[in-house]
Amino acid sequence: MPVPISEASAISPTMLAIEAQGLHKVFRGGWPTRRRKEALRGVAVAIPRGAIFGILGPNGAGKTTLLSILATLLLPDAGWARVLGLDVVRQARALRARVNLASGNASFLWALTAEEILHFYGRLYGLYGRGRHRKVQALLERCEIEPYRRVPYNELSTGLKQRLSLAKALLNDPEVLYLDEPTVGLDPDIAVRIREQIASLRRERGITIVLCTHYMREAEQLCDEVAFLREGRILARGSAAELKREIRTGDRIRVRLEGPVPALAGLPGVLEATAAEGVLECVVDDAVKRLDDLLGALREGGAVVRDVRVLEPDLEEVFLELAR
Amino acid sequence: MSWRAEAARYWAFVAKNAIMTRRSVFMLFEVLFWPCVWLVSVGLLTRFLELRQEMVAYVLVGVISMSIIQVCHLDVAFALLLDLWAKSMKHQFLAPIHQGHLLLGHWLMGVLRGIGVFALLAVFSAHAFGFDFLRAGVGPLALFLLGLFLNAAAIGVVVCILILQYGHRAEVAAWSLVSLMMLVCGIYYPVTLLPGAVRWLAELLPLTYFLEAFRAYYGFQPLYAHSLLKGYALTAAYLVGLLVLFQWGLNRARRTGLLLKLSE
Ligand SMILES: Nc1ncnc2c1ncn2[C@@H]1O[C@H](COP(=O)(O)OP(=O)(O)O)[C@@H](O)[C@H]1O
Ligand SMILES: [Mg+2]
Repeated sequence: MPVPISEASAISPTMLAIEAQGLHKVFRGGWPTRRRKEALRGVAVAIPRGAIFGILGPNGAGKTTLLSILATLLLPDAGWARVLGLDVVRQARALRARVNLASGNASFLWALTAEEILHFYGRLYGLYGRGRHRKVQALLERCEIEPYRRVPYNELSTGLKQRLSLAKALLNDPEVLYLDEPTVGLDPDIAVRIREQIASLRRERGITIVLCTHYMREAEQLCDEVAFLREGRILARGSAAELKREIRTGDRIRVRLEGPVPALAGLPGVLEATAAEGVLECVVDDAVKRLDDLLGALREGGAVVRDVRVLEPDLEEVFLELAR
Repeated sequence: MSWRAEAARYWAFVAKNAIMTRRSVFMLFEVLFWPCVWLVSVGLLTRFLELRQEMVAYVLVGVISMSIIQVCHLDVAFALLLDLWAKSMKHQFLAPIHQGHLLLGHWLMGVLRGIGVFALLAVFSAHAFGFDFLRAGVGPLALFLLGLFLNAAAIGVVVCILILQYGHRAEVAAWSLVSLMMLVCGIYYPVTLLPGAVRWLAELLPLTYFLEAFRAYYGFQPLYAHSLLKGYALTAAYLVGLLVLFQWGLNRARRTGLLLKLSE
């Protein structure tokens, strides 16, 4: 049951950093057969200023395509998008000065050092003289690449490359920052550091961040709001809490017990119950409402309850439910 | 917008190509090794054939011109070629620059490098083969070199347009286009030797006229009147057309997604 896309009109347009309607994109690739690939099929988003907005979805869902259109790197076939009040097609150049993008699998000129790459792109953003040197120095420190400033790009580790990509994306102090899978393929400890940096960017500077990821955890941790994208369509959007509430995957109650396991099928609100090796797993419509009845039924049936845990659904389950 | 910010955008590409040259053996070879090998081998050939001094000048003008064009056009082609290889294409087009920054910036580096190559080859051939590169005077020489640089810019832009259209498949254009010009424009021989259809092609290419005009100073009767003027007029027309095509190609690459495909 897809959740309707919440009405953008509730928020005044000036408060929106990004607004898009009916975005379509078809790629025609592969010579000579000209395969057709519909990457986006009518995507609408409304992202308030200062928000971290997550675009979630499996590989090939169209996340990068959507981000590229919003970043003026790709022209949509149909629909429109405005970022910071500027049309992404007609006012692209003015927009480019105010947004930036970092992707997890970014690539830069191999022979240039980390520092040289930042100076090169810094110049492209119109930075010059001492101002540019200060900026590059600050970003090298902020993104923790200072010790590797003189290392050529192709000798940097994946984590450092990702951090360099982030540093490059901050050169122009963007008002809107696009992050395309910023932690893909990283060791967990490094991924955590990058997530901290993303969170602090919003905290310190109020940047609007659009984050594409297929790690649900990452989105849940960082984003105010997420949209589920699959096969070029947005299936649902809202805050993680809203989505969990609206798309009831049910709460999971896990009970460790001793003695016989009574049949629970008849109990109101119990959607599913499985027992194995002294652990009973119940899916109920609402844990708060049903917990007492459930425990009562167990005791009556002669079971001794040793441990009870109520597990909230995570975004992953919400997504699986949606994708069904 | 401050002029220093604007200047930084042009300079970005000059600085990038300068660093890349220092870093990569490949580029150093392109700039120093091949032009020298070519000049020495052809110079010695003229000795062996016991050519008159004017003939030696005729051939060496051709060789030096081609070296300059080869080096300079490569810098312009690097506007896309380096990023094509590194798969980093999208980042420069994400920045607030226009094609002027990109192409002019790269061309500036090409001109600097071209002047370097010219100085090297001219001085060397003066010593080794008695070639008097200043015979025409400084003014005509400068006009000739400028013509070559603009020619190189045009070829470089053609390579870029092909890359925007065909991606990796266009790489070969970077080296083969210049060689084709060598065949057609009369590097070693007057274009009158060419068969009809090919000669017609030669007359469409500005390099033919620039060579004609410059060789006139070495006692060769020009085939065409106002060669220099024709050369510049043709070059200007081509450049305008090519810049329009480049912009069109870039838009097309934004539409088809090639720009993304060439990144990451
Ligand atoms: N530049 C491109 N050219 C052709 N097809 C593309 C291009 N970019 C993406 N696609 C196709 O469009 C679909 C969506 O891709 P993408 O937006 O990259 O997905 P995601 O980022 O969610 O993994 C995929 O099937 C992909 O093969
Ligand atoms: Mg992607």
